[in-house]
Amino acid sequence: MEQLWAAPTALTVREVHEQLAGTRELAYTTVMTVLDRLAKKKLTERERDGKAWRYRAAAPREELAADLMRDALDRAGDRREALVRFVGQVSDEEAALLRESLSRLDSQEQTG
Amino acid sequence: MITPVLLAVLALVLTGPAPAVLARSTWPYQVPRAAVILWQAIALAAVLAALGAGIALSYSIAGEPGQPKFDPSSPRDLVAALILAMTASVVIRLLWAVGKVAVGTRARRQRHRDLVDVLATPDGLVPGLRVLAEETPLAYCLPALRGARVVVSVGALDRLDDSELKAVLAHEQAHLRARHDLVLEEFTALHHAFPRWVRSDVALEQARTLVELLADDDARRRNGPRPLARALVALAGSPAPEAALAAAKSATVLRVERLADPAPDERVLATLTYVSAVTLLVLPTITIAAPIVKAIVDAVS
Repeated sequence: MEQLWAAPTALTVREVHEQLAGTRELAYTTVMTVLDRLAKKKLTERERDGKAWRYRAAAPREELAADLMRDALDRAGDRREALVRFVGQVSDEEAALLRESLSRLDSQEQTG
Repeated sequence: MITPVLLAVLALVLTGPAPAVLARSTWPYQVPRAAVILWQAIALAAVLAALGAGIALSYSIAGEPGQPKFDPSSPRDLVAALILAMTASVVIRLLWAVGKVAVGTRARRQRHRDLVDVLATPDGLVPGLRVLAEETPLAYCLPALRGARVVVSVGALDRLDDSELKAVLAHEQAHLRARHDLVLEEFTALHHAFPRWVRSDVALEQARTLVELLADDDARRRNGPRPLARALVALAGSPAPEAALAAAKSATVLRVERLADPAPDERVLATLTYVSAVTLLVLPTITIAAPIVKAIVDAVS
């Protein structure tokens, strides 16, 4: 995926494989499978170039990251049960209450 | 004629006043596990009672006993059939909502997981942990039968020390293990099955809070209350650019207060809660089933 983001044009499986060969040893078929899967997930787009497919990232990295964050922080969405967040944001007032509870807990720990 | 009225009253009480009262009380937070069961029992009993009321009403309107044949020329039979059809439509609506929520949730989660897998780096600390290069402090989990993920942002890691991080991960893994998302899904579906003008989100909100408490309890048992409370404060108190402020007193305050002042063992309260849950479910079931059983017994003897 990094290779596709870095590349100015669409790459064939062979080109991606060659670029990756410098850093990691991957079988040609592995690269092909991964690219194919990414295309099915609509994270890459591909077009025919003669016999081979040329792959290109469907969106810049920043855009996907923004998508992800929007999805993760979406609190009003109907389908927010998809993600269970550890904790939401609180107001200043509540933050003060929180700190108070925490200091109580800390003092208990020291006395007990 | 008394059965449908009783059932209808029961259904109304269980959809309106009962959840409102329960949501205002604080004792359920002491026994979150039992309270989740009680909420589920209330929801299920309300549905059963409503359906039972429909069926019983249509029976009591339709022709005299001993004449079970449907007569389209009789207005009584027509009304009875209409009521039955309405009852059936409620069932269909419910099933539709359950299906829709299940499909929608899974689709969104799948898409999110694909994005996480492309953008975030795996971390060996815990299976399924992914670290996201974002400054916004974030920690959440993506439940799944296989390949569940716990996602933590770099911003969150910066704000947590080791023991706090461990507490957060324990909390998220408790969610994943117990499949708390399925509980929330039920209540979401129920929420959506109601027409917009009678819909209320008390049950869903309560369920959300209670599963957080359950996961907190699990994390506390593993690492003690302090790291978890500190982690909660660290992540909730840090200003995030996108953060919209919570409107009501949020569950976060409740959670930290609960960690600071641990309640004594509430076995009696938990048992009482379980008993009321079971009673709630048995009540409408017996009311519906009794006439049928009686009819069978009469027929046999």
